[in-house]
Amino acid sequence: MNEQRRDFIRKSGLGVLAGLGVASGLLPKSSLEKTVLPVWDEKPVAGKIRWGMVVDTRTCQESCQECILKCHHVHNVPDFRSRKDEVKWIWKSPYEKAFPTASQQFLNKETRDRSCLTLCNHCAESPCTKACPTEATFKRWDGIVAMDYHRCIGCRFCMAACPYGSRSFNWQDPRMGIKNPSTDYPTRMQGVVEKCNFCSERLVKGLEPACVESCPNKALTFGDLNDPESEIRKLLENNQTMQRKPELGTLPSVFYII
Amino acid sequence: MSINKNHIIFSLFVLFLLAGTYAFMQVGHAADPVPQSPRPAASAAIDSSKCIMPTAYMKANHMRVLSAWRNSSVREGNRVHVAPNGSKFDKSLNTCLGCHANNRLFCFNCHMYANVKPKCWNCHLSPMETP
Repeated sequence: MNEQRRDFIRKSGLGVLAGLGVASGLLPKSSLEKTVLPVWDEKPVAGKIRWGMVVDTRTCQESCQECILKCHHVHNVPDFRSRKDEVKWIWKSPYEKAFPTASQQFLNKETRDRSCLTLCNHCAESPCTKACPTEATFKRWDGIVAMDYHRCIGCRFCMAACPYGSRSFNWQDPRMGIKNPSTDYPTRMQGVVEKCNFCSERLVKGLEPACVESCPNKALTFGDLNDPESEIRKLLENNQTMQRKPELGTLPSVFYII
Repeated sequence: MSINKNHIIFSLFVLFLLAGTYAFMQVGHAADPVPQSPRPAASAAIDSSKCIMPTAYMKANHMRVLSAWRNSSVREGNRVHVAPNGSKFDKSLNTCLGCHANNRLFCFNCHMYANVKPKCWNCHLSPMETP
């Protein structure tokens, strides 16, 4: 073959390639497949969201039990009227019980007498999920420490591991302790551990957690800790907050304004 | 400095590279904008108006479907079931019960006959318990 001809074919080939490149850039619709972000059938990406809560103990009223009643009704939490069989998802603790490792010396009376709303902290480094032998409790993609009641074998390792007492064991059939069951959420059975789920069943529907919604004083703020623009992050930026037992390194997602 | 052959080859090569990669520089504009705020897991509306699979398949495999639904929705957050015909369902027992609970004995009749004792109703409210 003629040398010149081979050269010509080579160069025109490269020219066509470059031309295609330019054409696909200029006419993106015809040549490039558009990236469609799937809205539905997609697993959520882990680590993008970290749900958290800020409890403003200044506006949380001493006598008010709205959030506790609402949460325990919505999630069919049984009430056996005995400390021994108590099951709780959200409850009130006196200041020195909620923050036993914070300084208690010469505390002003008003703070000392204050009761703090306590619930599962949905720790970033959750000891309970590490203790669970069946992975029945696990760290979800959105930072929620979730319970898969189907898998729980009732060994209570998680209860021993949790430094906040956020977990309760069903010593008896919980259905006996539910007077007015809510049909939207299942109950648990005897022999499983249960705890707050940050209302994951409501978050899917785009609703705020039941406790946040029911608070008459708006003392609870729920939001994404990973989003610097969120209301909860602004609250954290503008206020001095506390976490429960921060020295344990569990990185709780529930913060308190004292 | 005079322009020699190498200069021309090099500048043409750079031009060629630019032309060839032009499309890739444009990709960022062609794609949909990425939504700013992260979404929680998506869910489909509870639609109980039609069956997710043919009756014969469900008769034999409903337990496998329910088990797969449970695992993927509870653990992975993938809550939306896409049926072969493209319709979407929320992976929830309530999707089934929305219609099947019309016959309160729908589950129990067959399970009693086959002597199987599923543990669903230890926690989930069965059609017998709901008003």
